[in-house]
Amino acid sequence: MRNRVVITGIGWVTPLGRTIDEVWAKLLAGESGIAPTTLFDARFFPTQFAAEVKNYQLPENLRSSGKHEEISRATGFALDAAHQAWRMAGLPMPGSKESSTVDPYSVAVYMGTGDAALDFDNFTQAALGSWNQEARGMNMAQWGQRALHSFNALREIEQEPAMPISHLSMEFDARGPAINCLTACAASTQALGEAAELIRRGDAEVIISGGAHSMIHPFGVTGFNRLTALSTFNENPKRSCRPFDATRSGFVIGEGAGVLILESLSHAQARGAKILAEVVGYGSSADAYRVTDQHPEGRGAIVAIESALRDAEMQTTDIDYINAHGTGTKENDSTETFAIKGVFKEHAKQVPISSIKSMMGHLIAAAGAVEAITCVLCIRDQIIPPTANYSVPDPECDLDYVPNHARKIKVDVAMSNSFGFGGQNDTLILRKFR
Amino acid sequence: MRRVVITGIGAVCPHGLTSGDLWKGLTEMRSAIAPLSAFDPVAFPSRIAGQVPAFKTMDYVPKSYRKATKIMARDIELAVLAADGAVRDAHLVTRGVMETFGGKKPDESWFEVDSRRIGCNIGAGLICADLNELAAAMAPAKGDDGRLSLQKWGKSDDPTKPSGMDLLTPLWLLKYLPNMLACHVSIIHDTQGPSNTITCQQASAGLALAEACRTIQRGHADIALVGGCESMVHPMGLMRWTLLNRLTTQGNQHPEMACRPMDQAASGTVIAEGGSVLIIEELQHALARGGKIYAEVAGLGASSSARGIAGPDPAGEAMAVAIQKSMKDAGTNPAEVQMVIPSGYAIASHDRAEASAINHVFGSLRPQVVAIRGGLGDAGAGAQALDLAAAAMALHHQTVPGAVNCTNPIGGLHVPQQTHTAALQHVLVSTGSIAGQNSAVVLRRYA
Repeated sequence: MRNRVVITGIGWVTPLGRTIDEVWAKLLAGESGIAPTTLFDARFFPTQFAAEVKNYQLPENLRSSGKHEEISRATGFALDAAHQAWRMAGLPMPGSKESSTVDPYSVAVYMGTGDAALDFDNFTQAALGSWNQEARGMNMAQWGQRALHSFNALREIEQEPAMPISHLSMEFDARGPAINCLTACAASTQALGEAAELIRRGDAEVIISGGAHSMIHPFGVTGFNRLTALSTFNENPKRSCRPFDATRSGFVIGEGAGVLILESLSHAQARGAKILAEVVGYGSSADAYRVTDQHPEGRGAIVAIESALRDAEMQTTDIDYINAHGTGTKENDSTETFAIKGVFKEHAKQVPISSIKSMMGHLIAAAGAVEAITCVLCIRDQIIPPTANYSVPDPECDLDYVPNHARKIKVDVAMSNSFGFGGQNDTLILRKFR
Repeated sequence: MRRVVITGIGAVCPHGLTSGDLWKGLTEMRSAIAPLSAFDPVAFPSRIAGQVPAFKTMDYVPKSYRKATKIMARDIELAVLAADGAVRDAHLVTRGVMETFGGKKPDESWFEVDSRRIGCNIGAGLICADLNELAAAMAPAKGDDGRLSLQKWGKSDDPTKPSGMDLLTPLWLLKYLPNMLACHVSIIHDTQGPSNTITCQQASAGLALAEACRTIQRGHADIALVGGCESMVHPMGLMRWTLLNRLTTQGNQHPEMACRPMDQAASGTVIAEGGSVLIIEELQHALARGGKIYAEVAGLGASSSARGIAGPDPAGEAMAVAIQKSMKDAGTNPAEVQMVIPSGYAIASHDRAEASAINHVFGSLRPQVVAIRGGLGDAGAGAQALDLAAAAMALHHQTVPGAVNCTNPIGGLHVPQQTHTAALQHVLVSTGSIAGQNSAVVLRRYA
């Protein structure tokens, strides 16, 4: 008999704000967090806008302050979001009087986060200053000298993708398993699913789980621009991300973090915690198709959705709402629609589907986590957010995408899909707790 | 309860390109650490490395997929090699293997897999962009201040000429995403089951193995390719570890003696590259197809030291907890574990914490402790995968490889100085990553 897994706390740092209710109100109102890029000078890039977390400062109330020097933006977002979630869950901070009620070895961390930005100034100066154009090669003696002189040891190690979980473990004295996965855009959905599995089999009682990421830096945007995956709708950033619309032209890069506290039902009930929702289904698969493209018939996506349904012991008719991956690229949205129809058959047209990426952009490794939080809020408030910027129907995308206006409906069960570059597909199903 | 066994091993390491090369190097107690030759390390105080011998990735991918080798960073190439070795060692016929056989399997000992029932979980590290490739693109966009001009980088002054970023291949980003190890391997071998990429530095492979085992135990797959690969032999890697004071600077004259894990003279680690992919399989599935069984995956444990990059607590408490969890999971106890492969970086403080953890768990039982980094160096996310490969082969051959460069062990540890046969029931692989993630795995003899 596996343990039931419930959600007792949520927190996020997003392009639309930094508190649960502020961001939720904006999502329901269809507001956009997308604007001209300020984190670096992108005026000459093909894409000159992004969904940035504005005026970000690390909260001052961190417990192990002084141990978070030189952390990346993503680690800062993760610490902030985790504090919100931990507080909402009513868990005691380590070192407080009540902290003895929680066994540190029963608290795990499982996040989906990516590597952080290179130290741009030092990196480009060292490389360009040591480049020999005639030989078309690096003078390594020179590069080594410059690098050892200019790079900062801490800032370098903080770029490692394991550092957000390392800081979270330290901050919350979480000594259970600490795991990070990096399956691109699917990472935090996968983290939440695998975290739930750890609780189901008793490897942890409480897990700090979700995702954090920022790729809004010159080489990150360069990479996506070269792939021609980003929208270049510079004339109107707020309208740039148009999931499922016939005029959609690419995704919009965002940044932020989402953290959920997952807990075994018995642990949550024993301490009288308020339960926000239950994690009932998780499915995962690989396309094994191409590095650059999704399988055109959504083969892997279908397997992920079907296995999540099987895991939850549910039928397609049990699903009240689908929070789509919905990136706003030509390929994803039609493939995702195809996959949903492949699983839901006739019922597909009856299930409302929306993409919050239309408003807060694509948080890459953190996207699945903020979308899972959105599902929790849908279940809490019985209302679903719209797909913003929807105006021209696409014959390949012919389902109900909740265009432009939030909708009050019964939401007992919500499904969230995430598909990553490289072919990883993950689906989560959350249910109202009863 | 579904049991999980190891039925294939592929390894790529400084000793060679196969698991056989790894085992030979270990049992002959050789060190493969040598002067660093991948680039000129003259500016660095540590100029040695554990490097993988030359290979052509083309030789390890089916013809139809050769074009893709152009977008594989070194770490990805290592994983492709290790996976190929593992699949062939296990006599599995995957899409990639079948193509090299010309569509017909050689004999009945080869098993045609069901793609939907195979998972892939390969740990990876931070993959650095190739400096020469990036600098060549940046050079025309150099600004007056010596930094990259983002104006010239984004848009060329002369519309007939490319901008800086245009000089990068369109798929540039995909060379360096850590999940591309598993992505390419899953495409080559058509593994459509659950796939993940765990990035917990040196503890990645054990955590990946644990997750994939649970996937098989839950019934979501029958087989999985698991492990980890990384190349730390990169200018950025060498720079980072130099600045963090993790590397020995005393080995440039005698590289083969430089890395001294769990030894009183440990003076720092050595960067390396490599890794391993193991085939793990549900026991009945393996038996039904007549697969060769190296060992059983008996117990899994994990913990976090929760001290950031300060690493393990000096007493090794969190690492000891991970070890104890893995033994409990295996239903065994310290008296039945005859051999331990610790991480053994040859970083004195870390080694001492590991020795404390081992002593705390085993007390006076004194199992044989062999840290294989002594002859290989630290291959980051590939390291624990090599440890796991070594442990499985030790159980299979009932042989303990002698330790390299550990003549005066710390903490009263029992470190074998010679390779010898032994009755091994269980081997423990215990790893603590530099950022504090701990993974412990107990393998059991299958006989």
